[in-house]
Amino acid sequence: MLDQVLATLTRYGSPALFGIVAIAAIGVPVPITLLLIVTGSLSAQGSINVWMAIAMASVGSVAGDQIGYAVGRWGGKALVAKFHWMLGGAKRIKELEAKAKRWGGAGIFFSRWLVSPLGPFINLTSGLADYSWLRFTLWDFLGESFGAALFIWLGFLFSDRVQEIGAIFGDLTWAILGVLAAAFLGWKLFVRR
Amino acid sequence: MRKTATTNLRTLLLVLGFFLAIAFTFFFGYRAGRTARHVSWQNEPIQSWMSVPFVAHTHHTRSEILFKAIGVPPNPRDRRSIRDIAREEKLPVAELIRTLRNAITDAKRPDSETVPPSGKAP
Repeated sequence: MLDQVLATLTRYGSPALFGIVAIAAIGVPVPITLLLIVTGSLSAQGSINVWMAIAMASVGSVAGDQIGYAVGRWGGKALVAKFHWMLGGAKRIKELEAKAKRWGGAGIFFSRWLVSPLGPFINLTSGLADYSWLRFTLWDFLGESFGAALFIWLGFLFSDRVQEIGAIFGDLTWAILGVLAAAFLGWKLFVRR
Repeated sequence: MRKTATTNLRTLLLVLGFFLAIAFTFFFGYRAGRTARHVSWQNEPIQSWMSVPFVAHTHHTRSEILFKAIGVPPNPRDRRSIRDIAREEKLPVAELIRTLRNAITDAKRPDSETVPPSGKAP
């Protein structure tokens, strides 16, 4: 699948980029970091305009994120009401909603580029928690634009080393997720004592 | 009694999860570091999703040389992937990649008669 996605990007450029990042933002597992780095390399080769690529990647991702948010906000509530016992009960859901509202802005911003595998989940929980749509969109746009600019620029700079750079950042993302998980579980263990 | 057993099980799961998360971090951190160490000298592997101009760019070779090597009319705007070309030319992808690799090696030889990537014809 990855080969197909990258071949489509290489052949069709910006319109393909828009479509792929939007689909990835909904939750389809696409290695978005590698995709943006390859886009940067294509920009360095003159196949895609770099500014157009950043704009397409940002707007496409925001469009996909909006779908996740909308599902959480308008479609997910009925499901959660039906299956709240599976998620720890109604009280636990209320706590999660409160946390989502409290950490919303930072969570949305960093899950756009630093820990991107969490992005689709954050979109859903932001919608479920009734997080303000305007604030969600603002943080979402800032995070997606920053991420797109960062990785496309890296790809532009290391245009002949895209696979290695993509692999490094892909692994770093998982390592950061590991650190976050270890910190969370460690904290849970600490408060249990 | 049952409550204590449940609490112990939860603690055990948390401890296991904690060590698993640390192992996960080290594994991916190590892999990232190892890739970073090799990045400066390793040749970018040719993949089937790459177009011929893309391969030419990552290997600092002129795309015309590579197009000629695989028997396709040179066109820098040809963005078909190697897999698409292989399908259209009815060739195995691995063979096409091998031909490209050989053409790159030939082009980089000091006695090569081909034109360097950014230089002028000898």
